Amino acid sequence: MVQVDILLQIVFWGLYAGCIYLLLATGLNLIFGVMKIVNFAHGEFLMLGAYVTAAIFAVTGINPYAVILLTMLVIVSIGGVVERLCFRPILGTGKLNEIFLSIGLIYVFENVAALVWSDRWQSIQSPYSGISIPVGPVAIPIDYLIIMVLTTAILAGLYLFLERTQMGMAVRATSQNRRGAMLVGIDVERMDMLSFGIGSALAAAAGTLWVVSGQVFNPYMGSIPAIKAFAIIILGGLGSIPGAIIGGLLYGLAENATAFLIGGPWKDAVSFIVLIIVLIIRPRGLFGEAEE
Amino acid sequence: MDYRHYTMILGIVLLGAILAAGCTQGATQQAGTIKIGVMASLTGASSNLGNGMWDSAVVAANEVNAAGGVNVKEYGGRVNITLVPGDDQSTPAGGQTAATKLITENKVDALVGGYSSAVTNTYLPTVAQYKVPYVVTGASSPVITHRTDIDTSYIFHHCPTTDTYGKYTTEFIDQVIRPSIDAKFNLAAGRPLRLALIYQDSPFGQGVFSAVNNTIHAENLNVQIVGAQSFKMGESDFHTTLTAIKAANPDAIYVAAFTNEMVPMVTQARRDVGLNTIFLAVENNDAPAYYKGLGGYGNNSIMESRFSPYTVPTGSIADAVAAFKGPYTTEFGSPPDMMGASTYEGVHILAQAISNAGTVDKASVQQALVNLRMPQMIEAMQGGVISFSPDFHESQFNLYMEQLIWNPTAGEPRPVIVWPNNLKATGFVLPDWYTPGSG
Amino acid sequence: MTAPESGRRAGYAALLVLALAVIAPASGDAYFLNLLLLMLIFIIFASSWNLLALSGQGSLGHAAFFGIGAYASTLIAVKAGLPPLIALPLGGAAAAGVGILIGLTCVRLKEWFLAMVTFGFAIITQTLVVSVLAPVTGGWDGIASPRLVPAAISGSSLIEYYSILCIAALSILAIHALMNSRIGLAFAAIRENETEARASGVDPVRYRLLGFAASAFLAGIAGALEIYHFGYVTPDIFGIDISFLPVIYSIFGGLGTLAGPVIGTVILTIVSEGLLDFGLTFQRFIVIGLVLILVVIFLPRGLVSLPDEVRKRWKSRKKSEGALQEQAK
Repeated sequence: MVQVDILLQIVFWGLYAGCIYLLLATGLNLIFGVMKIVNFAHGEFLMLGAYVTAAIFAVTGINPYAVILLTMLVIVSIGGVVERLCFRPILGTGKLNEIFLSIGLIYVFENVAALVWSDRWQSIQSPYSGISIPVGPVAIPIDYLIIMVLTTAILAGLYLFLERTQMGMAVRATSQNRRGAMLVGIDVERMDMLSFGIGSALAAAAGTLWVVSGQVFNPYMGSIPAIKAFAIIILGGLGSIPGAIIGGLLYGLAENATAFLIGGPWKDAVSFIVLIIVLIIRPRGLFGEAEE
Repeated sequence: MDYRHYTMILGIVLLGAILAAGCTQGATQQAGTIKIGVMASLTGASSNLGNGMWDSAVVAANEVNAAGGVNVKEYGGRVNITLVPGDDQSTPAGGQTAATKLITENKVDALVGGYSSAVTNTYLPTVAQYKVPYVVTGASSPVITHRTDIDTSYIFHHCPTTDTYGKYTTEFIDQVIRPSIDAKFNLAAGRPLRLALIYQDSPFGQGVFSAVNNTIHAENLNVQIVGAQSFKMGESDFHTTLTAIKAANPDAIYVAAFTNEMVPMVTQARRDVGLNTIFLAVENNDAPAYYKGLGGYGNNSIMESRFSPYTVPTGSIADAVAAFKGPYTTEFGSPPDMMGASTYEGVHILAQAISNAGTVDKASVQQALVNLRMPQMIEAMQGGVISFSPDFHESQFNLYMEQLIWNPTAGEPRPVIVWPNNLKATGFVLPDWYTPGSG
Repeated sequence: MTAPESGRRAGYAALLVLALAVIAPASGDAYFLNLLLLMLIFIIFASSWNLLALSGQGSLGHAAFFGIGAYASTLIAVKAGLPPLIALPLGGAAAAGVGILIGLTCVRLKEWFLAMVTFGFAIITQTLVVSVLAPVTGGWDGIASPRLVPAAISGSSLIEYYSILCIAALSILAIHALMNSRIGLAFAAIRENETEARASGVDPVRYRLLGFAASAFLAGIAGALEIYHFGYVTPDIFGIDISFLPVIYSIFGGLGTLAGPVIGTVILTIVSEGLLDFGLTFQRFIVIGLVLILVVIFLPRGLVSLPDEVRKRWKSRKKSEGALQEQAK
């Protein structure tokens, strides 16, 4: 049998990976909840977040953790523009169109990033990378703990926004009943832009945490995590933010368990195998409704 | 209304024909020059290596031309070498298109280059069909000259294969690391060395994995593989893989990975997972980015190499290496890497073969390559000579093992050659913090 | 469709095939022949994707069928010693078989779930080929493939080209026949509204599976032809880039039309190769991406609809001008 401390370590790394996934999936669910669109280019905002943070860090030397808010603000604007220019015109023309459009966006974002920053792999070092906290037989670098704390903080911020602010409640109203929201005078198009912006900013936050933890990044890093994020929200419940959070954490744990039990190359394949099995049994997804 | 569709198709195809016909006109033969095609990944996933290969080829061609060119009977005297780039775009289809273009449109006399084994293998039948001499200088799969489906007589392999360096590194582990551990920790001489393997899921990684296994069995080495984990190309989160390896209590870990994977792996191993052991890396990592990325965590690790930016084996090639590295670094801003080094030599090899043959007739050049014996240039070759083995046209490199030692001035580790004995600067040392995997 | 119209169509189609048949040897350039040949293969591949999309199923993992056809044909030819031409439809059949299996998992799925599932299947297929099936498929090293026409025969490259031209023409004809048959109508019905289709007696499951089978068969043939041409197959054939290309070509040219994938493949291949010649590697993908976005927003029926759109705008402008003149009187 596997020793307990090994298991605990794998759980820890699964949670770390899960933090990044859950931010990605939560952002996606926010967008999907309000606009009901499929944007496979969601992962490009993860990539942009990574590059913007790395760039600001390289130029100013500001602690990359502090940069995260700035990065999110930058991406909110970019996200808003993308929504207004690309997705709004095709709203309602069918999911396939949205998929095709997002493929175009993937090509554009990936190659613009490659042009600007070159397509080489890059990485940055967090200022805290030398500090570790001893926990049992291992010393956990403080970065991972900061990441988990930050993720919780961002989620808390999102919760407060959605539950306690006027705008946040308007966003929720739009996602629950678009017609009804329009009838009570909510500017649903502005809600679209806002939720797309915030959702993309959450992806960018995930990208920031990715680079701060020292992982390498390059322009093509976003496409597969984007599709995985979609798998997570299908499994966790379309439009359900708690589902995205739990789904993201479970996903991180499952991927690491797969790497441990079966082998690294199966990480991607297993995610899809699980998705396919679930969809065969329940074609609407775990928490989907019968009609959309 | 559909006839419009067909008219459009017709018009477009005819337009395309005219354009292409125009392209054919453009590729006129430049009279009186030797044309060497360079197959390199100038774009796509492997582009930084590919550009280095092209730059190094340019340096070599300039040297040959500055020395007066090559005497070829077709042009009645000495003529220059012209290089023609063939961008394989890091994809099989791109490679096949580029190779076809170089051979049929640019009508090159010979080819050099080739990085990705999958891409190279895809267009090799085309090269073999047209019987163009090809010196492969970047792809590490032994399959390239071991192909049974095509006539490989025109294919020459001038870079070590995964078989070669897998075997070499395993022998080093058995002959140097194992006795060091036994001596330092007073262990029984018959104790097998506990080796773990972490390898990329690709021809490169799988090749190294097989080579290690085969060497252990063929040479009956006292090495035991206690754990083996593979990872997908481009992975950067290795925590779980490393935790699994740690659970196997290895004495040393041999990793087959690219630099963008190696750096996070070693960092995560030593900093996050507490896996403090000897890491062995493959030669493709010997470039400045590796030393910079690893920092202190690379201290005392091992790397198998044949061309390094920061060290050179003592002996006859030291001056030649400096003469190559200095101007290259000045012109291109960073030192050459080993793919560049072997491509540089590849161009010189072709120039020498053509000179020996006195003609660009491909069959004669092929024969000249088979019989080639030229002094080593910037990479140490066995016997001090560049020549191709009669069976599989592979040249025999003098590989060496480096140990990375912390250099306070540079703020990074620097390599020091510790094996083989005739090339080493100092002996291999086990670091103070090291403990073996088990008693 | 009136008789003279269909006659005219057939005439233009024949002209097109004649043009392609003549261009090849006329240029005398092996490189150009190579490009044309690969273009033809991609026309088959894009058309196969388009066929599936006609039934409302937009697959993002069509490389799976492309690759399975390639591997299956190669293995059948090598292991069973069959001539490549015979192994070709057998490989296509293998791809069709897998297509039906994959289709079975997708029959009850909404279109974007299907997109993700097919994407996942391409990844799973590649992982299987390099791991579990490695002893047969050669794993990451790949395996050598026979040529469609043995190189020993003189003029083999021209024979190969004409064979592929024939196969491409036959494929387009087959798709054309399918589109204009009851099956084509059924595809359109389930694409538009599955519930209504079922109510009118069309069994969506049966036709969806048929779509997968036919589409996968053609995609498999395309893949096998490409690998016969190269002479070697590697697992890269299952890559995402291969999956996305037929999608882009078809949408650009005109989703759901017969000529759309053809036009899209031809134009985008020329544009892409042209930009590559100028060294604009990243720019060329940016151009492709922008083109795709613009087409989806402004020209959703693709390039084939451009003449119609232009005429419509022209007509509506004339009409409004006419109306203004009327008012002015």
